[in-house]
Amino acid sequence: MRNKMLVLMSSFFLLSACGESADTAKTTPEAAPAATEMAEAAPSCGKVTIAEMNWSSAALMANVDQFILKHGYGCDAQLVTGDTMPTGTSMIEKGEPDVAPEMWSNSLREALDKGVAEKRLRYAGDSLSDGGEEAFWVPQYLTEKYPELATIEGVKKHVAMFKHPEDPDKSMFMGCPAGWNCQISAGNLYRALKLEDAGFALVDPGSGAALSGSIAKAYERQEAWFGYYWAPTAVLGKYKMTKVDFGSGVDEAHFKACITNADCAEPKPTMYPPSSVQTVTTESFASKSPAAYDYFTKRSFGNAQMNELLAWMEDNQADGTVAAEYFMKNNRDNWSQWLTADVVAKVDAAVAKL
Amino acid sequence: MSWFTDFPELSRETLVSIRKSLDGAYRGFSREYGENIEAFFDPLLTFLVWFEKLLLATPWWLMIGVIALITHLAARSWRLTIGVIIALFLIGLFGMWEDTMSTLSIITVSTLLSIGIGIPIGILMARSDRTQSIVTPALDVMQTMPAFVYLIPVVMLLGIGKIPGLIAVIIYAIPPVIRLTNLGIRLVDREVLEAAVSYGVSPWQKLWHVQLPLAMPNIMAGINQTIMMALAMVVIASMIGVAGLGQPVLRSITNQYFALGLFNGLAIVVLAIIFDRVSQAYAKRSQAYLGGRE
Repeated sequence: MRNKMLVLMSSFFLLSACGESADTAKTTPEAAPAATEMAEAAPSCGKVTIAEMNWSSAALMANVDQFILKHGYGCDAQLVTGDTMPTGTSMIEKGEPDVAPEMWSNSLREALDKGVAEKRLRYAGDSLSDGGEEAFWVPQYLTEKYPELATIEGVKKHVAMFKHPEDPDKSMFMGCPAGWNCQISAGNLYRALKLEDAGFALVDPGSGAALSGSIAKAYERQEAWFGYYWAPTAVLGKYKMTKVDFGSGVDEAHFKACITNADCAEPKPTMYPPSSVQTVTTESFASKSPAAYDYFTKRSFGNAQMNELLAWMEDNQADGTVAAEYFMKNNRDNWSQWLTADVVAKVDAAVAKL
Repeated sequence: MSWFTDFPELSRETLVSIRKSLDGAYRGFSREYGENIEAFFDPLLTFLVWFEKLLLATPWWLMIGVIALITHLAARSWRLTIGVIIALFLIGLFGMWEDTMSTLSIITVSTLLSIGIGIPIGILMARSDRTQSIVTPALDVMQTMPAFVYLIPVVMLLGIGKIPGLIAVIIYAIPPVIRLTNLGIRLVDREVLEAAVSYGVSPWQKLWHVQLPLAMPNIMAGINQTIMMALAMVVIASMIGVAGLGQPVLRSITNQYFALGLFNGLAIVVLAIIFDRVSQAYAKRSQAYLGGRE
């Protein structure tokens, strides 16, 4: 999972937001709806730091949040580079940054839950309303040719197709990089589905970049590929893949009890349940700026829409800033639902100036 | 926007189109020639796989015996030999035998390839200033370019696994042996060369019997650095799917299992020390006749 990407951030980008303090006074309480939470909206929201994680969808969300907080709520919103582990830990321990727009929370569930229990953090809402989608995939061009590949039985039947470059007797099942949470779940499912007996070797790609690189290589040459990946991601937005059905449905209890556990003795096949991808804020931000916090409870993307946006980013090699501008200009229907009428008006004015 | 306060940079559209066309060209190249290039490396891959299997299939006591024998033949030092045996035994005891053998196989092959390619390049560099002026900046790029910048394109071309790993290790590890071969030959005393020429040696004899032996201390220092840098790349190579000690290191750093990381890190250090002491002792012994020289 991307949350485990251990890309060491060597530098901190502090995108300074400046000259917006004049707007702050305009956030008046009477503009808010009757909801009590909103009525307490402070006139000023102050400085907010938003974690910009090092993958595309999170960068997009962070930039959209920055734009809306800055122009709609008059916050001095700044972006801080981050990654799931370091950002999560820093939010719990130090109370900064204030907002993590896309937190794959399963990876540090215990620590986050503890932070919430100790009133240091709040789960504001789901960043991805459908949840993160993990699965084993095969490229779509394969299922077009061999429709039976959409099920695990079909994949086992065509085992010879998935050549292992280093071992002619085996086939390649691309697992999850060493150390990521999904390495455990993919390994257990590999055992549960008896892929080894079918002739598949579990290959460790070593890093997220190598995993996506291997998909890109297979896709460019229309080769067979079978392995673990997750959505919504730029990779699955760009390279159409079919989810392999295990024919087992989702057994969430077993998944939590055994599949995600390194010591799982007898793993049984189950599809991945949706993993929750949440917006997490610090308690101090939530209590200081309830109006802005309210925005985070509503801000949410569907997977189909996110995949589309990611594909656009990929096609245009856009970074978060550019993608956020594109989103703000073209998806008013979406973001206007997250905001109250007066905030929409302010954001509209800012979008018009883009 | 004024060029006085803001850098007159290319527009975003231009930059994106430049990047996209370069990426597109690379993709096209990979689609067109990828399979042929893969086929070109196939014999090497077969050899790597065979060599790894050989090391893994050899019983551990035989393997320790072979390594100890090589150490002893090269260094003729009982202390070193016994130290090597103990270190290898400890590696096995801590459950790292197979990973160590995988790493040993790829590092041995990439070090030998680095030396085999590096020394001739170094010799060419020493013979011509023009070659030197071309190769030196290339070496600078190889040593400083972040590995992932060229690794992911290589993965797109060749897939993950041993070959891209080998390429990464060689790119990073080859510069020292090239640089120091070049330096060593260039530092050979001019008067010695004149003396040799006055005895009527052919250029080949001059290189083989005069320049290379006199440059040997520098060349050995280069080989030593190459081995060290190759071992330092073990973890990076694991990030593109090379089996070995790098994988547990990756697992330990992402999960903060410090002890696991330390054990595997130390196993890499042990390999490095074995390689280093053996090659240095061998070099010292083979150069003993130079001792009388000032």
